[in-house]
Amino acid sequence: MGLALIWLAIGTGLLVVHPGLLTMPHAAPPVIALTHSWMLGFFVTVACGAVYQLVPVALTTTLWNENLGWWHFGMHAVGVPGMIYFFQGYQLKEVGLFGSAVALGILCFTLNTWITVGRSTRRDAVAWSIILAAGWLLFAVLAGLFLVCNRLWTWVPVPPLALLRAHAHLGLIGFFLALLQGVAFQLIPMFTMGEVRDWGAAKAGLWFAQLGLVALVPALIWQWTMLTYLGAVAVTIGMVFSGYGLKQSLATRKKRKLDPGITVFLRGGIGLAAAALAGVALTLPDSTRSTAVGGFNPIIYALCGILGGLLPCIAGMMCKVVPFLTWMRVYGPLVGRRPTPPAHSLTQPHLERWGLGLQQLSVLPLLAGAWLLNDFWLRLGTSLLAVGVILFLMDMAGVLKHLWFPAAAPAPTPALKPKLT
Amino acid sequence: MVSRRRAGADARVETEANLIASSMNVTPETAVVWDALKTIPDPEFGLNIVDMGLIYSVENHDGNIAVTMTLTTENCPSGEWIYEGVKTALNQLPEAKNVEVTMTFDPHWTPEMLSEDGKRQLGM
Repeated sequence: MGLALIWLAIGTGLLVVHPGLLTMPHAAPPVIALTHSWMLGFFVTVACGAVYQLVPVALTTTLWNENLGWWHFGMHAVGVPGMIYFFQGYQLKEVGLFGSAVALGILCFTLNTWITVGRSTRRDAVAWSIILAAGWLLFAVLAGLFLVCNRLWTWVPVPPLALLRAHAHLGLIGFFLALLQGVAFQLIPMFTMGEVRDWGAAKAGLWFAQLGLVALVPALIWQWTMLTYLGAVAVTIGMVFSGYGLKQSLATRKKRKLDPGITVFLRGGIGLAAAALAGVALTLPDSTRSTAVGGFNPIIYALCGILGGLLPCIAGMMCKVVPFLTWMRVYGPLVGRRPTPPAHSLTQPHLERWGLGLQQLSVLPLLAGAWLLNDFWLRLGTSLLAVGVILFLMDMAGVLKHLWFPAAAPAPTPALKPKLT
Repeated sequence: MVSRRRAGADARVETEANLIASSMNVTPETAVVWDALKTIPDPEFGLNIVDMGLIYSVENHDGNIAVTMTLTTENCPSGEWIYEGVKTALNQLPEAKNVEVTMTFDPHWTPEMLSEDGKRQLGM
């Protein structure tokens, strides 16, 4: 988690220092370096860490091999910075070398996850989403390596830009969307005292998106326009089903007031849906789908999906999950021995609200800046994002601080005296 | 005026205590056990496990304590800590000779099992 937060700071810092990156073509090496600092550095690190911690608990099993998890961590920690550094100068051999380390790490993760899920008897949408997500992540990373090799030695005559798009969607839809489509049905009911009434919608959402991805990847590589469009539509339908299932689940909640983290997570879902619609628009047969900057282009699509969708989903859920996991590590063993604080008290609500709120607000000026190629809007957006991220990091640091400095035992709350019968 | 207000507040607290007590089998022997259980928190919702309605029954026969409890879900991430915490807290009671804690999911916990105080704290 600490490594992921460092990457969040680095990714944001890159945007603050170079806001003009958002006015460059999406395949430009510095833009690819920026994207990987966010995707591999922050999002993948957080998501893998959460899978290691939450999957065994959610599926009532134990992690198959903790050592393999540490090997993954080590290779990821070494591989990602190397990749990003050499992307800047477009030194592809070095990118491939460090990318191989990342791929080996992800191989460890996927094997560990599959065997862990295999030891559980649960086979619902939650379990399947984890199985599929882990598989697609490995596929996405291997596709990235293949892309680098193909640039160096041209094994297969396909345009690199087409391969790049397929690689990006394998990661975005295959890993992140699949994971969110499953794990949301585990975590949202748990945090809101609700239940999943409509598993059919959850399943339909997952499988429609999977079907869409299976169509989308070859269609993007070989530029089959109609199949690309149909794949994008199927993914969008999948997201609609998942959204409907979550809405049904939220309607059953007993905890009426939603925590800020959950609210922001749900807003992130809306951002992802907006990105899906933008994606459908880009795949329309008469769309130019060019790399030209300005106007409605892939950077707008990426901003909607990554900063407008994925960031609030992941950051919102971190506001719930990180305090909870920290509580489990620090205060769990103390239960029954001394009073312990509730998990939510480990966060600082004002930092959480402002941090998440400013991050979301920053998307609008960033979109305007990228669309209009306007430096003022880009600087405003990156500044808002930076302040939002700083507040969020302060909140997370305050939570993680408990790992080393546990709170003193709070005074016991006076309990109502039960009437003797 | 002040004493009338205080009397009103006391009456309200007494009513809430009655509501909670109505769902508990509280006897002079088990009262100390219930009190000990009230020190165990549910980390996610910040309520103690008695107000959460996670305790199904309590018995205390001359220090032989038997508690039947549940969790909000079978996959409750903090379930192990809550279960171990209950055993630890009860074993620390001076009168405890033998402590037996049984986990059951029959019936499954539902939010309707929250105490009135618990419901109020969660805004239900």
